[in-house]
Amino acid sequence: MVFLSGNPRDKVSWTTPLLDLGLQWIGVIPGADGRRPRKHFPCALLAAAPTRSEKVRMIERRALTLLPPAGLAVVCAALGLAWALEPSLAPGGWAGRLGVVLAGICLTVLAVRISLLQSSKAAESARRYIDCVCELDAQALSDEHVLNTIPLRKGDHFWREVCQRVRQRLAEFSKRAEELEMARAAAEVRVRRTIVERDQLREILAGLIDPVVAVDQFGEIVLANPSAERLLAVKTDGEDHPALEQLQRCEQLVSMLSETRRRRSSTLRSAEVTLPDDEGKAHWYRITCRSLASQQEKNGATDRCTQQGAVAVLTDITGQKAIQKRNAEFVSAVSHEMKAPLSSIRAYVELLVDGEADDEPTREEFLGVINSQADRLQRLIDNLLNLARIEAGVVVVNKNPLSLNELLQEALGVMQPAAEKKQISLTSEFSPLYLGVLADRDMLLQGAINLISNAVKYTRPGGNVVLRSRLSDQEVIFEVQDTGVGLSPEDCQKVFEKFYRVKKDSDLAPGTGLGLALVKHIVEDVHGGRIEVVSQLGQGSTFRVIVPGLGQLNA
Amino acid sequence: MSKRILLCDDELHILRAAEFKFKRAGYDVVCANDGQEGWERIEECRPDIVVTDCQMPRLSGLALAERIKTTPATANLPVIMLSAKGFELSAEELRVQYGICCLMAKPFSPRELFTRVESVLTGELQPATSAVA
Repeated sequence: MVFLSGNPRDKVSWTTPLLDLGLQWIGVIPGADGRRPRKHFPCALLAAAPTRSEKVRMIERRALTLLPPAGLAVVCAALGLAWALEPSLAPGGWAGRLGVVLAGICLTVLAVRISLLQSSKAAESARRYIDCVCELDAQALSDEHVLNTIPLRKGDHFWREVCQRVRQRLAEFSKRAEELEMARAAAEVRVRRTIVERDQLREILAGLIDPVVAVDQFGEIVLANPSAERLLAVKTDGEDHPALEQLQRCEQLVSMLSETRRRRSSTLRSAEVTLPDDEGKAHWYRITCRSLASQQEKNGATDRCTQQGAVAVLTDITGQKAIQKRNAEFVSAVSHEMKAPLSSIRAYVELLVDGEADDEPTREEFLGVINSQADRLQRLIDNLLNLARIEAGVVVVNKNPLSLNELLQEALGVMQPAAEKKQISLTSEFSPLYLGVLADRDMLLQGAINLISNAVKYTRPGGNVVLRSRLSDQEVIFEVQDTGVGLSPEDCQKVFEKFYRVKKDSDLAPGTGLGLALVKHIVEDVHGGRIEVVSQLGQGSTFRVIVPGLGQLNA
Repeated sequence: MSKRILLCDDELHILRAAEFKFKRAGYDVVCANDGQEGWERIEECRPDIVVTDCQMPRLSGLALAERIKTTPATANLPVIMLSAKGFELSAEELRVQYGICCLMAKPFSPRELFTRVESVLTGELQPATSAVA
């Protein structure tokens, strides 16, 4: 089969020689771009090579065309020869001449026939060439060198030209086919990538904790990720798009989405709502709404009347709300704690200014109170700042391997005078082992001092405070045990909270309610340990600190 | 006869300052360290006016005020509240619900407290109970 191309209008002129070869038309295929053949657009023609019986018939036809002139020529030649050899036998002078003329004509016809046969041989060669070309694959076709190696019989310029044109067209088509193939492959890659991206987006949306709801310009819910479906009790599968109004769980969301669709502005709108979760627990959500401009509108074809789609994202801000509340409570607690000493200072200053204190001892008493309250305020602020700095991670933690026993001994030394003053026995029961810890010396020392100071504060004169250390598995433990006032189970839970002070014991000693909160931070956040309290009302308390050990060596 | 005032606060220094101020002004001062003790003092001393802190152990200032208001014998006893939580409490709510006739924010001025007490006792500032009734 031969695959040719050319302008269909000129089909007759350039395909007739090929048809002469016995090639048969099969049909016309559209142009390379898939459109119907046009006037000047080269289209492809299909022709088939002759079959074997057709070849035989062709040879017979050629033989038949050659036979009559050849026979006539032989007769004429015989007559001419007879006349030349024996003029007497000749029917006359004119007959001899006629014979020669006829013989000449016949010879001419014969020559023409032979030349035709010759040209048909050239056509054979061209057909063979075409057959060879047809055997080639697309890559070889586009290679000029390969094409040139196919032998082409010399002599017939017309066929040579035809073959070259065919070859050129074939090469062009092959190139075009290659380009199309590349374009198709590229398109396929794009399609696959788009499918992957779409699936990824779907996965991402499905995996989002934040509920997402989108409505189209007709007010139908076209997208709701699983979180949204759960929260808003709405189902969007396949072609079934429920109306926006079906989101009965959250009227505000419905009104916001409707409003956003109407307003057509691209600005974000947000609101905060509470919605119950699966277990009926109320959660705070911030709804953020924005409009979805359709593709048409992006292309500039805006229609004032049409509404557009909108998308809403619901962010769970329950945690943020809790933090806000905690912050507010914290500020309130701080201000309350500060107001207490400030109240005293102000009251006594006013009494002094008003000259209420007549005698020197009273004045001194008032000044003493002012002084102690100013100290209290100072202490509170220092503790607050320390706590804030540790919490914010501003404090540079400088951890080094150190001996816990040495550190506890130092803390003991610091607190001993205060204990003696209050007639409390402060003793130690340290492990004989070297207890190595990776710790910030100053911070851990502060923590130990705070714990001992607390024990001394809330133990009545004559009581005992014991500081112990020991090793347990890979952990290092130190504890401060006192025979003080003790804590109720409720107090044990709250005692590490900021500003929490056991009310009944607040008269025993001044305090800010920050000391233990600070210790908890130092132990848990800075050193990765934990702190526990065991206590019984009236029997005393034990505060136990457990920190990771650093490998142990005998002392 | 000197007026009897009950001062109720868990901050001893504040109690001492107020006590000093009122004693010098000729009042008969009774002190209590918390709400419960305050209520006991009211029952035994029958003061003419009560000045109480809000946050106190055992019995809070609000609970004390409510008890004063709901007990017929003390229903007309004027109560002045001192509180560090000034902005969190509404004066109107305190007046209606707890019968507190006057709210003073901490830090407070003893001088101002004295003026308020005087004006309540002289009737310039109506005790809340009668105002509500």
